Amino acid sequence: MNDTIYTMGVDVGGSYIKCVLVSYNKEINDHKVLDKQTEKIRKRNPKIVASEIVTDLLKRNNLDYDKDISYLASTGEGEMVERKTGHFYSMTSHSRGGKHFFPDAKTVVDMGGLYVRAIKIDEKGKVMDYKMTGQCASGSGQFIENISRYLGLAIEEVGQMSLKADNPEIPSGICAVLAETDVINLVSKGLSTPNIVKGINLSIAQRVVKLLGALKAESPIALVGGMGMNEGMVQAVEELAEGKKNRDFKFLSSKDAIYSGAIGAALWGGFRYYKLKEKGVTL
Amino acid sequence: MNGLENLLGKCKEYAFDLEFNRAKQWKSEDDKRVLVGYMPIYFPREILHAVGAMGVGIFGGGDRKQIIKGDAYYQSYICHIPRSIIELALDKHMEHLDGFIFPSICDVIRNLSGIFKQLKVGKFVKYMDFPQNFLPEVGGKFYQDEMKHVLKYIKEINGVKLTTENLNHSIELYNKNRKLIEHIYNVRQEFPWRISIEDLYHVIRAGTVIPVEEHNEILEELCAIIDEDIGAPMDKIKVVVSGAFCEQPSIGLIKAIEEAGCYVVDDDYMLGSRMILADIDSKSDNPLEAISNAYINHSQYSSSIYDVHNPKEYRLAKIVKERGADGVIFASASFCDPSLLDAPIFQNAFDELGIRYIAFQYSENINQYKVIKEQVGTFSDSIKLWED
Repeated sequence: MNDTIYTMGVDVGGSYIKCVLVSYNKEINDHKVLDKQTEKIRKRNPKIVASEIVTDLLKRNNLDYDKDISYLASTGEGEMVERKTGHFYSMTSHSRGGKHFFPDAKTVVDMGGLYVRAIKIDEKGKVMDYKMTGQCASGSGQFIENISRYLGLAIEEVGQMSLKADNPEIPSGICAVLAETDVINLVSKGLSTPNIVKGINLSIAQRVVKLLGALKAESPIALVGGMGMNEGMVQAVEELAEGKKNRDFKFLSSKDAIYSGAIGAALWGGFRYYKLKEKGVTL
Repeated sequence: MNGLENLLGKCKEYAFDLEFNRAKQWKSEDDKRVLVGYMPIYFPREILHAVGAMGVGIFGGGDRKQIIKGDAYYQSYICHIPRSIIELALDKHMEHLDGFIFPSICDVIRNLSGIFKQLKVGKFVKYMDFPQNFLPEVGGKFYQDEMKHVLKYIKEINGVKLTTENLNHSIELYNKNRKLIEHIYNVRQEFPWRISIEDLYHVIRAGTVIPVEEHNEILEELCAIIDEDIGAPMDKIKVVVSGAFCEQPSIGLIKAIEEAGCYVVDDDYMLGSRMILADIDSKSDNPLEAISNAYINHSQYSSSIYDVHNPKEYRLAKIVKERGADGVIFASASFCDPSLLDAPIFQNAFDELGIRYIAFQYSENINQYKVIKEQVGTFSDSIKLWED
């Protein structure tokens, strides 16, 4: 029985818009991410960027929105996605996305452009508890992006660069403005780029480890969101967590971690499609 | 669709016109016309209409008026609406209004009426008590006397005497107004995507600052449009919003609730326009008594009414059931005593009745909704994903 449907998830973040196309089959409990795309918003209108990504993905896969897509779910700044079936709150989506990557995960850490949030989940991906960083940009992916720009690095290079560090120095973790001044001083002191980058990763990792402690997180822990793709950040989190007493955390990361919100939204979309269908509701 | 956009655009303009230009224009067309500002929650505008006056809803400056002078009149632990109303008065936004009515809501509004008297704003200032005794021969009689008192003020200004015929005609117009508004809510109950709560809010609020005849035309046109199958449904839960009957949430907040995954199928945002739940008798020989009877027997509950024999928590539960809502959002203005004192009563009852709810507080001038959106979004997701 072929009861496979197509769903899409669009995650509008502070810096990037991520979109995925998923095939979903409830009968055989199967789903596959068929295609994905990320766009940096830059100074463009996020509504237009989101609409273009959806159109691109559909075109690439010879699909028609009205005929073929059973559910398009937005997450993040959902109002930027004009054509959609429903919206899921980003914590809900990232939890499901974390489960998609690592079905055994008991905690998901969403490390995004604007904040970091540690979420405790149950076996179905339901949010049980969470803790998140405050408003300061020094604990966010946007901060890493800014610093990488100052250092003349592409954001994709930051992770590998961090792995080469041998003697990192940690800048201020309280305020992005102070941290940026610290970085200027570190450059003036002649500290190598890998050591500066690693120091920044460690600074954010300190916050992540604090959140995990406050949440009484359980292992394994999935690191998702844009910063989850940064190998240097994953290493920094692992190093700092290792040093904590009574903590035996196992961290999991994926090269597609940035898509966790979009994938989670698309999967919840599939779940909702069938749930509504059972009730005789079609959208 | 252009017709709808034009209609909604016009209402949006009226709703937040803090200069009350349409009312000003209406008054300028005839020397005998009188404008009377009234505060939330409810005032029987029929009696003004019948004597050549028009009620003008004063619902504060929201997030469109910077408060400088208003803060000097109230302590920090007082809600926001009286500050913005004072600011509007001191900045001469209401200079063309002849009088002001302060329906009894709470001590803060009573004090506001005193401040208006001290500042000598308008030709009269009336703090209007509403009956808390729901016996027609007691509370009803009292209410009629209060209405006569208001009519006396108007007569002193324009010399127009109330006639039975005129008041019955006015009652008919407002009956129609309420019926049309209710029709929109009924359509939204089934098809909430046909008009957003934000647009509906503009439409109803516009009706408080323009002539009722004009508002009825707008409503009729709107009803004809939304009776057609327009818009596309979205996967959202249905909620009832309760607690925002006086100080109005900013439009951004009203919008944020629907953006976060809810359809608001009932609310008490502009409660005064929907306060009377049934037609008022428009054929009566004593129309003041008819208005009074309607209030006594067919008015909506509110946090400023203490009707012990008709508990408000069960009345809200009935609305939730009738509207097919999945839950309730208790939205109270910060420091709003009536709303916040009622909250535990509602919530205890809803815990027992198994009605899901969340609660938050707002101020009319807040424009950061991230936390509220998170709360509402989580509420919506938990119902969509985890409820059978």
